[in-house]
Amino acid sequence: MSTDALLSVADLTASVDEKTILHGVNLQVAAGETHVIMGPNGAGKSTMGHVIMGDPVYTVNSGSIIFDGADITELSCDKRSRAGLFLSFQAPVEIPGVPLSSFLRASIAGRPGLEMRGKEFRRRVKELAAQLDMDTAYLNRELGVGFSGGEKKKVEMLQLLLLQPKLAILDETDSGLDVDALSVVSRGMDAYRSTCDGSLVIITHNTRILEHLDVDRVHVMVSGRIVREDDASLIPWIDEHGFESFEREADETADAC
Amino acid sequence: MDALKIKQASAMPAPTWGWLRMNDTAIEIPAGLERARAVTIEADEDLTETHASFEGAVEKLQERLDAVRADAPDTRACVRAAEREQELLDDLDTPALSAYQLAATREEIAGDVAHAFETGIGIDARSYLNFLAGGTVVLATEEGACEQAIVRVAGTSGHMAGAAVDVVAAKGSTLDVVISLDGVADSSRAAGLIGSELRVFAGEGARVNVTVYITADDVFTVLDDAGYVLDEGARVNVRHVVLGGAHTYTGLASDLRGDTARMEIDTRYLAAGDDTRDFNYIIRHRGRRTFSNMDANGVLTGTSKKVLRGTIDLIHGCKGAEGSERETVLLANKGVDNKTVPVILCDEDDVAGNHGATIGHVRPEQLFYLGCRGLSQEQAEALFTAAKLEDAALSAPDEQIRANVIRLGSALIEDFADFEEEIA
Repeated sequence: MSTDALLSVADLTASVDEKTILHGVNLQVAAGETHVIMGPNGAGKSTMGHVIMGDPVYTVNSGSIIFDGADITELSCDKRSRAGLFLSFQAPVEIPGVPLSSFLRASIAGRPGLEMRGKEFRRRVKELAAQLDMDTAYLNRELGVGFSGGEKKKVEMLQLLLLQPKLAILDETDSGLDVDALSVVSRGMDAYRSTCDGSLVIITHNTRILEHLDVDRVHVMVSGRIVREDDASLIPWIDEHGFESFEREADETADAC
Repeated sequence: MDALKIKQASAMPAPTWGWLRMNDTAIEIPAGLERARAVTIEADEDLTETHASFEGAVEKLQERLDAVRADAPDTRACVRAAEREQELLDDLDTPALSAYQLAATREEIAGDVAHAFETGIGIDARSYLNFLAGGTVVLATEEGACEQAIVRVAGTSGHMAGAAVDVVAAKGSTLDVVISLDGVADSSRAAGLIGSELRVFAGEGARVNVTVYITADDVFTVLDDAGYVLDEGARVNVRHVVLGGAHTYTGLASDLRGDTARMEIDTRYLAAGDDTRDFNYIIRHRGRRTFSNMDANGVLTGTSKKVLRGTIDLIHGCKGAEGSERETVLLANKGVDNKTVPVILCDEDDVAGNHGATIGHVRPEQLFYLGCRGLSQEQAEALFTAAKLEDAALSAPDEQIRANVIRLGSALIEDFADFEEEIA
């Protein structure tokens, strides 16, 4: 394990309903780095994001998650969030009855350095909304209710910029977005990197969203295992060849076992 | 004053199983309360200086209804059953009636508007609130006029106070009435009681909008009792916002007597700690093509309890009428107790009655999402409470009521006052 890693996942095995999804996964992300996790559908990429964030649906069978020098393997998700972890959802949930502005205010409450009072909060949120081409009328609407896919992802980006986490996991934030919305999400990621200098773990199928980012490491996941790690040069290779060779290798390894 | 209990309050017209314990409620009046004068009414003089009366308006309506009443005999079996003096063995075509059916049929035969008048909590609460008020204020509009009035009841610990208001909206007039039932507990945290008794006559084509805000602290018992009579083409919109009070009782009964009368009720409620909320709505459709809609939306937290009874009664003769009721309630804590009793009674063809309820706990994926943004279970619960209070503050009818909501919110949630600064 690298001593300067911000996030260190070691030999992580996790399951749901007694079915093992992640098999001894290792991942190290240093402060300020951008990592990409790629892989075919059903490879376990989203599960890994959720397990790192502490989704109680999953059981951690073995391994550990160290974040910012502390073992968070047993911590609840709210404590992981307050420690500086962030997960952007592939399909953000709707919460009827709760206006977006109330939710945002609650999410920053009690966070040292982020607490803002009344008008200052409103001003800050409006600034971020403008940065993301987001209509401020959404602030008074119920969280996620009636939002388009693009608007939901913009709200995720707005939270990323408001909460300024040390490390953000973006779970297919680019999926289902048109070109304009994709550009707004890219802008959000750029703003996060430039203003917070935080670490990013991007889970994606789509290499397009990575075009404007300086990627440090790429991890390929197949069948719940990281099967390949390399630098950013792997991205154009995958763009050209897909995941077939990795899947074939994984199958052969499984057969050999 | 000694402790008093109002029994069989807010009773459903047609009871269900007794063991479910929701047919009615008992209201305990705290002992030792002193009567206080704590009611203010803000209204133009032309609204309060009037010779009109609720009884007079009902009498005139009765005269008109009697004049157009069909003379043809009603040969329905239920009418024969209600009118016969004794049951005869050889009369097998006439059915036996339950006590409810008998009373309902006799009331229908009589067609007496004044006799049929009712309020949601019931006659005992009405008498008690009239006694508390000491006198009734009449707010009456002139034909075609447009007016507004605010009634404020400001309770204090150790005291009881109530308002009794009659509203008579003349033909084609518009009247907005706001009732604020607020109570501030002092350091003794002694119990208190506040309430309002409202009778509304909405004349032909009149439009009446009633908004009731309950923002009392958690030592108060609150009674909000109302009865409505709607003439032809009248439209009444009621908004009940129940946020505070240890024990609140909201009752509304409406007689849609005139053809095409419309009644819409929008109820928003919040119950925290060990608060109890009791609602009883009774809408009687008597006129043809009448319309009613009840929409309730609430949040229950802590170990609070709530009962909502909603009865739509489609009475014989209300052809083309349509009544709907719907409730959405969020149970933000496993310790809450929620009862929802939608009832549709029907004795007419060619009518529509709809009801629906969405009752849900916060789903695990919602809790995980909130957790991912740093909110614990307790903070998530506080968020649902804050959201309800903020919505009520933003839509408060005036600054004073908004301030009441902010005061109540600050007592329930840390830093709620920040919201005030944000919207100021």
